[in-house]
Amino acid sequence: MPNEIVEGLKTYKEEIMKAWMERMKETEEEHFFHYMPEHLIEKTSREFTDLMLSNIESSTGVDVDKSIDFASKIVHFGWSIKFVNKAVDSFSTVSFEFLEKEGIIHAGNLRTFFDLFMNWIEPLRESIIDSYSAEWERTVNLQRVALQELSASLIPVFDKISVMPLVGTIDTERAKLIMENLLEGVVEQRAEVVLLDITGVPVVDTMVAHHLIQAADAVRLVGSQCLLVGIRPEIAQTLVTLGVDLSEFMTTSTLQRGMKEALQMTNRKVVEVEKHDER
Amino acid sequence: MMNARIPILKLYDTLIVSIQWELDDRTAIQFQEDLMAKLHETSATGVVIDLTSIDFIDSFIAKVLGDVIQMSRLMGAQVVITGIQPAVAITLIELGIRLEQVLTALDLENGLEKLHEELEG
Repeated sequence: MPNEIVEGLKTYKEEIMKAWMERMKETEEEHFFHYMPEHLIEKTSREFTDLMLSNIESSTGVDVDKSIDFASKIVHFGWSIKFVNKAVDSFSTVSFEFLEKEGIIHAGNLRTFFDLFMNWIEPLRESIIDSYSAEWERTVNLQRVALQELSASLIPVFDKISVMPLVGTIDTERAKLIMENLLEGVVEQRAEVVLLDITGVPVVDTMVAHHLIQAADAVRLVGSQCLLVGIRPEIAQTLVTLGVDLSEFMTTSTLQRGMKEALQMTNRKVVEVEKHDER
Repeated sequence: MMNARIPILKLYDTLIVSIQWELDDRTAIQFQEDLMAKLHETSATGVVIDLTSIDFIDSFIAKVLGDVIQMSRLMGAQVVITGIQPAVAITLIELGIRLEQVLTALDLENGLEKLHEELEG
Protein backbone atom coordinates (compact mmCIF):
# COMPACT_ATOMS: atom_id res chain seq x y z
CA MET A 1 0.00 0.00 0.00
CA PRO A 2 1.36 3.45 -0.86
CA ASN A 3 2.97 5.32 1.96
CA GLU A 4 0.79 8.35 2.02
CA ILE A 5 -2.33 6.31 2.76
CA VAL A 6 -0.64 4.32 5.52
CA GLU A 7 0.76 7.52 7.00
CA GLY A 8 -2.58 9.23 6.65
CA LEU A 9 -4.45 6.44 8.37
CA LYS A 10 -1.91 6.29 11.15
CA THR A 11 -1.92 10.02 11.70
CA TYR A 12 -5.67 10.28 11.84
CA LYS A 13 -6.19 7.06 13.74
CA GLU A 14 -7.65 8.81 16.78
CA GLU A 15 -9.90 11.04 14.75
CA ILE A 16 -11.08 8.17 12.61
CA MET A 17 -11.87 6.17 15.71
CA LYS A 18 -13.83 9.03 17.27
CA ALA A 19 -15.79 9.61 14.10
CA TRP A 20 -16.46 5.94 13.75
CA MET A 21 -17.72 5.68 17.30
CA GLU A 22 -20.03 8.64 16.72
CA ARG A 23 -21.40 6.99 13.65
CA MET A 24 -21.95 3.67 15.35
CA LYS A 25 -23.81 5.38 18.18
CA GLU A 26 -26.18 6.87 15.66
CA THR A 27 -27.06 3.43 14.34
CA GLU A 28 -30.74 3.13 15.01
CA GLU A 29 -31.63 -0.52 15.07
CA GLU A 30 -28.79 -1.85 17.18
CA HIS A 31 -28.34 -0.51 20.67
CA PHE A 32 -25.14 -2.23 21.69
CA PHE A 33 -23.35 1.04 22.20
CA HIS A 34 -26.07 2.42 24.43
CA TYR A 35 -26.01 -0.05 27.25
CA MET A 36 -22.27 -0.71 27.34
CA PRO A 37 -20.24 1.31 29.84
CA GLU A 38 -18.24 4.13 28.29
CA HIS A 39 -14.78 2.82 29.09
CA LEU A 40 -15.65 -0.56 27.60
CA ILE A 41 -16.80 1.07 24.38
CA GLU A 42 -13.58 3.02 24.29
CA LYS A 43 -11.47 -0.10 24.85
CA THR A 44 -13.35 -2.24 22.36
CA SER A 45 -13.27 0.49 19.74
CA ARG A 46 -9.55 0.90 20.19
CA GLU A 47 -9.06 -2.80 19.79
CA PHE A 48 -11.23 -2.78 16.72
CA THR A 49 -9.30 0.12 15.24
CA ASP A 50 -5.99 -1.60 15.95
CA LEU A 51 -7.27 -4.72 14.31
CA MET A 52 -8.49 -2.78 11.30
CA LEU A 53 -5.15 -1.04 10.90
CA SER A 54 -3.07 -4.15 11.66
CA ASN A 55 -2.70 -5.23 8.06
CA ILE A 56 -2.24 -1.98 6.21
CA GLU A 57 1.51 -1.96 6.55
CA SER A 58 2.36 -5.56 6.06
CA SER A 59 1.41 -7.63 3.09
CA THR A 60 1.06 -10.71 5.28
CA GLY A 61 -2.67 -10.30 5.61
CA VAL A 62 -4.88 -10.26 8.66
CA ASP A 63 -3.58 -11.29 12.06
CA VAL A 64 -5.76 -14.37 12.64
CA ASP A 65 -5.07 -14.66 16.37
CA LYS A 66 -6.04 -11.07 16.91
CA SER A 67 -9.24 -11.36 14.95
CA ILE A 68 -10.26 -14.57 16.79
CA ASP A 69 -9.50 -12.88 20.07
CA PHE A 70 -11.64 -9.92 19.10
CA ALA A 71 -14.44 -12.09 17.79
CA SER A 72 -14.66 -14.11 21.00
CA LYS A 73 -14.94 -10.85 22.88
CA ILE A 74 -17.76 -9.46 20.80
CA VAL A 75 -19.64 -12.77 20.82
CA HIS A 76 -19.39 -12.54 24.58
CA PHE A 77 -20.80 -8.99 24.48
CA GLY A 78 -23.67 -10.27 22.38
CA TRP A 79 -23.06 -8.10 19.34
CA SER A 80 -24.86 -9.37 16.31
CA ILE A 81 -23.02 -10.26 13.14
CA LYS A 82 -25.03 -7.62 11.32
CA PHE A 83 -23.70 -5.00 13.68
CA VAL A 84 -20.14 -6.20 13.20
CA ASN A 85 -20.53 -6.05 9.46
CA LYS A 86 -21.89 -2.57 9.74
CA ALA A 87 -18.95 -1.60 11.95
CA VAL A 88 -16.50 -2.67 9.26
CA ASP A 89 -18.52 -0.78 6.67
CA SER A 90 -18.65 2.47 8.55
CA PHE A 91 -15.02 2.18 9.48
CA SER A 92 -14.03 2.04 5.86
CA THR A 93 -16.37 4.90 5.00
CA VAL A 94 -15.03 7.03 7.81
CA SER A 95 -11.41 6.44 6.89
CA PHE A 96 -12.13 7.12 3.27
CA GLU A 97 -13.79 10.40 4.15
CA PHE A 98 -10.85 11.43 6.28
CA LEU A 99 -8.32 10.65 3.60
CA GLU A 100 -10.39 12.54 1.11
CA LYS A 101 -10.74 15.55 3.39
CA GLU A 102 -7.01 15.67 3.97
CA GLY A 103 -6.43 15.62 0.26
CA ILE A 104 -4.51 12.35 0.22
CA ILE A 105 -7.14 10.88 -2.04
CA HIS A 106 -8.39 13.07 -4.83
CA ALA A 107 -10.20 12.71 -8.12
CA GLY A 108 -6.99 11.89 -9.97
CA ASN A 109 -5.91 8.81 -8.04
CA LEU A 110 -9.31 7.66 -6.87
CA ARG A 111 -9.41 4.68 -9.20
CA THR A 112 -6.06 3.24 -7.98
CA PHE A 113 -6.84 3.87 -4.36
CA PHE A 114 -10.24 2.33 -4.67
CA ASP A 115 -8.69 -1.04 -5.55
CA LEU A 116 -6.14 -0.75 -2.79
CA PHE A 117 -8.86 0.15 -0.38
CA MET A 118 -10.91 -2.88 -1.29
CA ASN A 119 -7.86 -5.12 -0.93
CA TRP A 120 -7.43 -3.77 2.55
CA ILE A 121 -11.01 -3.93 3.80
CA GLU A 122 -12.31 -7.12 2.23
CA PRO A 123 -9.86 -9.62 3.77
CA LEU A 124 -10.44 -7.93 7.10
CA ARG A 125 -14.19 -8.28 6.82
CA GLU A 126 -13.89 -11.92 5.80
CA SER A 127 -11.51 -12.68 8.60
CA ILE A 128 -13.66 -10.99 11.24
CA ILE A 129 -16.85 -12.64 10.08
CA ASP A 130 -15.04 -15.97 9.84
CA SER A 131 -13.76 -15.69 13.38
CA TYR A 132 -17.14 -14.55 14.54
CA SER A 133 -18.96 -17.54 13.11
CA ALA A 134 -16.26 -19.95 14.31
CA GLU A 135 -16.58 -18.50 17.79
CA TRP A 136 -20.34 -18.75 17.63
CA GLU A 137 -20.16 -22.37 16.55
CA ARG A 138 -17.79 -23.13 19.39
CA THR A 139 -20.23 -21.63 21.88
CA VAL A 140 -23.09 -23.68 20.48
CA ASN A 141 -20.99 -26.83 20.66
CA LEU A 142 -20.03 -26.16 24.24
CA GLN A 143 -23.66 -25.70 25.12
CA ARG A 144 -24.59 -28.92 23.41
CA VAL A 145 -21.98 -30.82 25.38
CA ALA A 146 -23.18 -29.23 28.59
CA LEU A 147 -26.75 -30.13 27.72
CA GLN A 148 -25.78 -33.70 26.99
CA GLU A 149 -24.07 -34.04 30.30
CA LEU A 150 -27.17 -32.78 32.04
CA SER A 151 -29.55 -34.77 29.95
CA ALA A 152 -29.13 -38.27 31.28
CA SER A 153 -27.84 -38.77 34.78
CA LEU A 154 -28.59 -41.75 36.95
CA ILE A 155 -29.29 -40.73 40.51
CA PRO A 156 -28.96 -43.22 43.36
CA VAL A 157 -31.98 -42.69 45.61
CA PHE A 158 -31.94 -45.63 47.96
CA ASP A 159 -29.54 -48.48 48.37
CA LYS A 160 -30.11 -50.65 45.25
CA ILE A 161 -32.59 -48.20 43.72
CA SER A 162 -31.67 -45.50 41.20
CA VAL A 163 -33.70 -43.07 39.15
CA MET A 164 -33.02 -41.60 35.74
CA PRO A 165 -35.30 -38.64 35.04
CA LEU A 166 -35.63 -37.94 31.34
CA VAL A 167 -36.59 -34.45 30.21
CA GLY A 168 -36.99 -33.33 26.63
CA THR A 169 -37.20 -34.99 23.26
CA ILE A 170 -35.39 -38.27 22.75
CA ASP A 171 -33.67 -38.79 19.41
CA THR A 172 -31.42 -41.64 18.34
CA GLU A 173 -28.26 -39.91 19.46
CA ARG A 174 -29.65 -39.12 22.86
CA ALA A 175 -31.12 -42.60 23.22
CA LYS A 176 -27.63 -44.00 22.78
CA LEU A 177 -26.28 -41.68 25.44
CA ILE A 178 -29.12 -42.61 27.76
CA MET A 179 -28.40 -46.30 27.29
CA GLU A 180 -24.69 -45.86 27.96
CA ASN A 181 -25.17 -43.72 31.05
CA LEU A 182 -27.88 -46.03 32.31
CA LEU A 183 -25.78 -49.18 32.03
CA GLU A 184 -22.59 -47.61 33.37
CA GLY A 185 -24.57 -46.16 36.25
CA VAL A 186 -26.31 -49.42 37.08
CA VAL A 187 -23.04 -51.32 37.24
CA GLU A 188 -21.29 -48.58 39.16
CA GLN A 189 -24.05 -47.93 41.69
CA ARG A 190 -24.97 -51.61 41.99
CA ALA A 191 -28.59 -50.73 41.44
CA GLU A 192 -30.97 -53.67 41.39
CA VAL A 193 -33.94 -51.61 40.28
CA VAL A 194 -33.79 -48.61 37.96
CA LEU A 195 -36.70 -46.22 37.49
CA LEU A 196 -36.80 -44.58 34.10
CA ASP A 197 -38.93 -41.48 34.53
CA ILE A 198 -40.44 -40.16 31.30
CA THR A 199 -42.66 -37.50 32.84
CA GLY A 200 -40.67 -34.81 31.04
CA VAL A 201 -40.63 -36.45 27.62
CA PRO A 202 -43.15 -34.58 25.48
CA VAL A 203 -43.64 -37.17 22.74
CA VAL A 204 -43.30 -40.92 22.96
CA ASP A 205 -43.67 -42.45 19.51
CA THR A 206 -42.74 -45.85 18.13
CA MET A 207 -39.09 -44.89 17.82
CA VAL A 208 -38.77 -43.57 21.36
CA ALA A 209 -40.61 -46.61 22.69
CA HIS A 210 -38.24 -48.84 20.77
CA HIS A 211 -35.25 -47.11 22.33
CA LEU A 212 -36.76 -47.43 25.78
CA ILE A 213 -37.44 -51.13 25.28
CA GLN A 214 -33.86 -51.64 24.15
CA ALA A 215 -32.55 -49.78 27.17
CA ALA A 216 -34.70 -51.87 29.50
CA ASP A 217 -33.51 -55.08 27.82
CA ALA A 218 -29.90 -54.05 28.21
CA VAL A 219 -30.51 -53.21 31.86
CA ARG A 220 -31.93 -56.69 32.35
CA LEU A 221 -28.82 -58.19 30.77
CA VAL A 222 -26.45 -56.48 33.17
CA GLY A 223 -28.49 -57.98 35.98
CA SER A 224 -30.87 -55.30 37.09
CA GLN A 225 -34.51 -54.46 36.53
CA CYS A 226 -36.01 -51.48 34.77
CA LEU A 227 -39.28 -49.79 35.63
CA LEU A 228 -40.83 -47.28 33.29
CA VAL A 229 -42.54 -44.59 35.32
CA GLY A 230 -44.26 -41.28 34.67
CA ILE A 231 -46.56 -42.46 31.90
CA ARG A 232 -48.99 -39.63 31.35
CA PRO A 233 -52.52 -40.32 30.11
CA GLU A 234 -51.84 -38.99 26.63
CA ILE A 235 -48.71 -41.11 26.36
CA ALA A 236 -50.63 -44.22 27.36
CA GLN A 237 -53.18 -43.40 24.68
CA THR A 238 -50.55 -42.80 21.99
CA LEU A 239 -48.69 -45.99 22.82
CA VAL A 240 -51.78 -48.16 22.61
CA THR A 241 -52.97 -46.42 19.44
CA LEU A 242 -49.57 -46.98 17.85
CA GLY A 243 -49.68 -50.60 18.89
CA VAL A 244 -46.49 -50.46 20.93
CA ASP A 245 -46.19 -53.49 23.16
CA LEU A 246 -44.80 -52.61 26.55
CA SER A 247 -46.21 -55.65 28.31
CA GLU A 248 -42.77 -56.97 29.20
CA PHE A 249 -42.07 -53.75 30.97
CA MET A 250 -43.23 -52.89 34.43
CA THR A 251 -44.84 -49.50 34.13
CA THR A 252 -46.50 -47.11 36.56
CA SER A 253 -48.13 -43.75 36.14
CA THR A 254 -46.03 -41.80 38.61
CA LEU A 255 -42.55 -41.91 40.02
CA GLN A 256 -44.06 -42.16 43.48
CA ARG A 257 -45.88 -45.40 42.72
CA GLY A 258 -42.86 -46.70 40.87
CA MET A 259 -40.72 -46.10 43.93
CA LYS A 260 -43.15 -48.04 46.09
CA GLU A 261 -42.98 -50.88 43.61
CA ALA A 262 -39.19 -50.75 43.56
CA LEU A 263 -39.00 -50.90 47.33
CA GLN A 264 -41.27 -53.91 47.29
CA MET A 265 -39.07 -55.61 44.71
CA THR A 266 -36.08 -55.17 46.99
CA ASN A 267 -38.12 -56.40 49.97
CA ARG A 268 -38.44 -53.10 51.73
CA LYS A 269 -41.14 -50.60 52.51
CA VAL A 270 -41.54 -47.12 53.89
CA VAL A 271 -43.26 -46.91 57.25
CA GLU A 272 -44.38 -43.94 59.23
CA VAL A 273 -42.82 -43.55 62.64
CA GLU A 274 -44.69 -42.23 65.60
CA LYS A 275 -44.02 -38.62 66.36
CA HIS A 276 -42.62 -37.86 69.77
CA ASP A 277 -44.11 -34.67 71.07
CA GLU A 278 -41.86 -32.84 73.45
CA ARG A 279 -44.50 -31.49 75.72
CA MET B 1 -3.99 -69.98 25.89
CA MET B 2 -5.35 -71.51 22.71
CA ASN B 3 -6.12 -74.94 24.10
CA ALA B 4 -6.91 -73.84 27.59
CA ARG B 5 -10.19 -75.11 28.91
CA ILE B 6 -12.48 -73.03 30.99
CA PRO B 7 -12.55 -74.38 34.54
CA ILE B 8 -15.96 -75.42 35.85
CA LEU B 9 -16.21 -75.45 39.63
CA LYS B 10 -18.80 -77.24 41.66
CA LEU B 11 -20.17 -75.64 44.80
CA TYR B 12 -22.85 -77.80 46.46
CA ASP B 13 -25.65 -77.98 43.90
CA THR B 14 -24.29 -75.24 41.70
CA LEU B 15 -21.69 -75.12 38.97
CA ILE B 16 -19.68 -71.92 38.80
CA VAL B 17 -17.95 -70.81 35.64
CA SER B 18 -15.89 -67.66 35.37
CA ILE B 19 -14.90 -66.72 31.85
CA GLN B 20 -11.71 -64.71 32.16
CA TRP B 21 -10.66 -64.00 28.58
CA GLU B 22 -12.19 -63.51 25.16
CA LEU B 23 -13.38 -66.87 23.90
CA ASP B 24 -12.46 -68.09 20.46
CA ASP B 25 -14.90 -70.31 18.61
CA ARG B 26 -13.20 -73.60 19.48
CA THR B 27 -12.87 -72.84 23.15
CA ALA B 28 -16.53 -71.87 23.21
CA ILE B 29 -17.63 -75.18 21.73
CA GLN B 30 -15.28 -77.03 24.05
CA PHE B 31 -16.80 -75.17 26.97
CA GLN B 32 -20.29 -76.13 25.85
CA GLU B 33 -19.34 -79.83 25.76
CA ASP B 34 -17.50 -79.67 29.08
CA LEU B 35 -20.39 -77.99 30.82
CA MET B 36 -22.92 -80.54 29.57
CA ALA B 37 -20.68 -83.39 30.62
CA LYS B 38 -20.22 -81.84 34.05
CA LEU B 39 -23.94 -81.26 34.44
CA HIS B 40 -24.60 -84.88 33.63
CA GLU B 41 -21.90 -86.06 35.97
CA THR B 42 -22.88 -83.94 38.98
CA SER B 43 -26.60 -83.46 38.34
CA ALA B 44 -26.30 -79.89 39.54
CA THR B 45 -29.47 -77.78 39.64
CA GLY B 46 -27.93 -74.41 38.96
CA VAL B 47 -25.23 -72.85 36.82
CA VAL B 48 -23.67 -69.42 37.29
CA ILE B 49 -21.69 -68.01 34.39
CA ASP B 50 -19.69 -64.93 35.27
CA LEU B 51 -18.73 -62.57 32.45
CA THR B 52 -17.23 -59.73 34.50
CA SER B 53 -13.90 -59.76 32.67
CA ILE B 54 -15.40 -59.93 29.19
CA ASP B 55 -15.46 -56.54 27.45
CA PHE B 56 -16.35 -57.75 24.01
CA ILE B 57 -18.60 -60.43 22.59
CA ASP B 58 -19.25 -61.49 19.00
CA SER B 59 -22.38 -63.01 17.52
CA PHE B 60 -21.05 -66.57 17.52
CA ILE B 61 -20.10 -66.52 21.19
CA ALA B 62 -23.45 -64.93 21.97
CA LYS B 63 -25.19 -67.75 20.13
CA VAL B 64 -23.16 -70.39 21.95
CA LEU B 65 -24.08 -68.71 25.21
CA GLY B 66 -27.76 -68.78 24.30
CA ASP B 67 -27.46 -72.45 23.30
CA VAL B 68 -25.70 -73.37 26.54
CA ILE B 69 -28.49 -71.75 28.49
CA GLN B 70 -31.16 -73.71 26.65
CA MET B 71 -29.25 -76.96 26.87
CA SER B 72 -28.73 -76.55 30.59
CA ARG B 73 -32.41 -75.97 31.05
CA LEU B 74 -33.13 -79.16 29.13
CA MET B 75 -30.86 -80.95 31.53
CA GLY B 76 -32.77 -79.50 34.45
CA ALA B 77 -30.46 -76.72 35.57
CA GLN B 78 -31.27 -73.04 35.98
CA VAL B 79 -28.67 -70.64 34.55
CA VAL B 80 -27.76 -67.22 35.91
CA ILE B 81 -25.47 -64.93 33.97
CA THR B 82 -23.62 -62.40 36.08
CA GLY B 83 -21.51 -59.33 35.51
CA ILE B 84 -22.40 -58.53 31.91
CA GLN B 85 -20.54 -55.30 31.12
CA PRO B 86 -22.44 -52.31 29.67
CA ALA B 87 -20.60 -52.56 26.36
CA VAL B 88 -21.43 -56.25 26.09
CA ALA B 89 -25.08 -55.61 26.90
CA ILE B 90 -25.26 -52.96 24.17
CA THR B 91 -23.64 -55.31 21.66
CA LEU B 92 -26.08 -58.09 22.51
CA ILE B 93 -29.07 -55.79 22.16
CA GLU B 94 -27.77 -54.48 18.85
CA LEU B 95 -27.30 -58.04 17.61
CA GLY B 96 -30.90 -58.69 18.57
CA ILE B 97 -29.95 -61.29 21.17
CA ARG B 98 -32.23 -60.67 24.11
CA LEU B 99 -31.56 -63.79 26.22
CA GLU B 100 -35.14 -63.54 27.27
CA GLN B 101 -35.74 -66.24 29.83
CA VAL B 102 -32.34 -65.97 31.43
CA LEU B 103 -31.73 -64.79 34.93
CA THR B 104 -29.12 -62.07 35.17
CA ALA B 105 -27.39 -60.50 38.13
CA LEU B 106 -24.91 -57.73 38.83
CA ASP B 107 -22.24 -59.97 40.35
CA LEU B 108 -21.55 -63.50 41.52
CA GLU B 109 -22.92 -62.93 45.01
CA ASN B 110 -26.10 -61.43 43.68
CA GLY B 111 -26.36 -64.23 41.13
CA LEU B 112 -26.12 -66.97 43.72
CA GLU B 113 -28.82 -65.25 45.77
CA LYS B 114 -31.12 -65.07 42.79
CA LEU B 115 -30.46 -68.68 41.92
CA HIS B 116 -31.37 -69.79 45.42
CA GLU B 117 -34.56 -67.76 45.37
CA GLU B 118 -35.48 -69.28 42.03
CA LEU B 119 -34.74 -72.84 43.06
CA GLU B 120 -36.41 -72.65 46.46
CA GLY B 121 -39.30 -70.32 45.78
